[in-house]
Amino acid sequence: MSETEQKLRIEARALLEQGRVDYIIGYETGSLKFTTTPLITTNKDDVDRLVINPFIVNNLSVFLRETSGKAGIVAKGCDSRSIVSLIQDQQLARENIVIIGVPCSGVVDLKKVERLTGKDRDELDDIIWEGDKAVVTIGGVKKEFQAREVLLDDCLSCEVPVPQEYDILLDEVGPLVCDKELSRSHIKGLEDMPPEQRWQFWKNEFSRCIRCYACRQVCPACFCERCFVEESEPQWVSPLPKWQDNLIFQVGRMIHVAGRCTDCGECERACPVNIPLRSLSKKMEEIVEELFHYRAGTDKEAPPLMAAYKVDEAEDFIR
Amino acid sequence: MKKVKKQDISKLLSQWQKEFTVFVPSRETGVVEMVVWDGQDTGFLDWYRNTVIPPKANILPNMEKMFGFSKEDGRYNLELPDSEEQKHLIFGIRPCDARALSITDMVFQDAYEDTYYLNRRKNTLLVGMGCVNPYDSCFCTSLGLGPMEAADVDLMLTDTGDEFLIEEVTDQGKELIAKTEGLEEATRDDEARASEVRDAAYQRVTRKIDTKEIAKRLPPSFENEKFWEKIAAKCISCGICTFLCPTCYCFDINDEVVGGDGARFRNWDSCSFPLYTQMPMENPREEKWRRVRQKVCHKYLFYPRLFDTIACTGCGRCIRLCPVNWDITQTLASLPAEATAGTESRNGD
Repeated sequence: MSETEQKLRIEARALLEQGRVDYIIGYETGSLKFTTTPLITTNKDDVDRLVINPFIVNNLSVFLRETSGKAGIVAKGCDSRSIVSLIQDQQLARENIVIIGVPCSGVVDLKKVERLTGKDRDELDDIIWEGDKAVVTIGGVKKEFQAREVLLDDCLSCEVPVPQEYDILLDEVGPLVCDKELSRSHIKGLEDMPPEQRWQFWKNEFSRCIRCYACRQVCPACFCERCFVEESEPQWVSPLPKWQDNLIFQVGRMIHVAGRCTDCGECERACPVNIPLRSLSKKMEEIVEELFHYRAGTDKEAPPLMAAYKVDEAEDFIR
Repeated sequence: MKKVKKQDISKLLSQWQKEFTVFVPSRETGVVEMVVWDGQDTGFLDWYRNTVIPPKANILPNMEKMFGFSKEDGRYNLELPDSEEQKHLIFGIRPCDARALSITDMVFQDAYEDTYYLNRRKNTLLVGMGCVNPYDSCFCTSLGLGPMEAADVDLMLTDTGDEFLIEEVTDQGKELIAKTEGLEEATRDDEARASEVRDAAYQRVTRKIDTKEIAKRLPPSFENEKFWEKIAAKCISCGICTFLCPTCYCFDINDEVVGGDGARFRNWDSCSFPLYTQMPMENPREEKWRRVRQKVCHKYLFYPRLFDTIACTGCGRCIRLCPVNWDITQTLASLPAEATAGTESRNGD
């Protein structure tokens, strides 16, 4: 158990014992190698299962709207932006949440490790950090990788390794690996394509969408009581998984979360058929910043992007 | 028993391609699924463990046109699809997924015979391939089969290194082998080696569930709201575990109409979605724990009551593809040991 984990367990126990929260939302060790899983509990004895490690991928803020009463939540910098965004949208009351901030140097993208090693997750013996290198052991043989090769793309463009909004901060942040160019290399590839080729690319990608809606369900910004895709009168989108409708669903969803999306990357990570959704969401985040000088979830007092209007606002989007 | 060298698989598939549309594991589309063989590539023999999209999609597609209709003089004309006579062959189906088809057969040929499903099923030959390298999420050995189970396929291939041993399971399988050229007779040594491979593979499946205990504990747990709430807490209500489950068969029906003309389609549906049970005035499974309970109980309680078999084959997709690592084997292991509610569950749901 690391020192950070020890602190976390002490803090979480105290929160429950003192009645400051009803729930603790954190991570525990998953049932598969190199995974963690959300731990949502009211029982103080469960806090000894809480963990902090380079595999805490989930954005737990998605559970905040489900827990009644007060919740103490373990949040990385990116997760805290989602929480702030939900507060801005009045989906949460700040006083009902205790944010246990975890400084984060990035989490591991297991798909990248699988690609680099040519092995599946369960065929790897170990993944450990040595300085800024990830050391992967396969069949007793060690392979070293640069951090930038194995971290999630969204981690490579992280600007908030320490949560900006927190009640308890667990630790100092370690060295941050930033590589903005690499983080958006896939987007750059799409930008460089002629429109016809880009259209063909997305047509192919959305042809395999199965409409499991995992992208929507893991998204903290997707909090509509009823999703437009489920409306039947009028029916905006066919429930049939045709590529055109799959694409319209995703584009509609993306536009709906413009100004709320914090580039946490959960939609892409959850997708079982590997659609590169972050290339849409990250691009959208960039457009929002360029046009409105607005970054979602960075100021809890600020009005939500789409609920405010400034007279001197850029109107470059009207062309 | 016959055998074939791995390097000759391409020749084998080429012969079969003359009679069948041959499907093989592929990642060409961006996800691992069974797609029509391109006539050349057998690279999957090196990387294939199992598909992400289960082969049920080849029998029960996630979108299927049932019939077309057009309006004429106030009447509707129906256009039924041509009954598909083309024979399909799925090469490399895993034993868990083949067993899953045997399980879904029961519901599609029950009181109502689903011709769409049954026609495709009848026209599809299954060439199974045993697993020498099961995933850590696999638990087939707890469900009355194993990574080399041959009972649900027409032909079963066992990987002995450089060769596959071919077991002829059904009459159709035997017929196909009889007219296939270039196969060798397997020796006694080959069979001994295959038997060792089978035993080793069986041992490699380490995840276990106790179906006897589950059968005892699940009915009295049905009304245990606290238990299901706890179990369901981290579920995000997406459709991954059901859509990609080889035994989940629920579908929705939708009409696509322009003017008076259109078509009726069916597409996969999931009990994980609140909309699945939404009715005009109420939703009996509005709360998440009721939906999670339904999923678990349908597989481990209702289906056994209806068809005397558990509707799960331990393929482990629901565990390894879940975005939050919700693990059904953990749920089943944590069922309360004693009846806490004392009320008997309803029969079916």
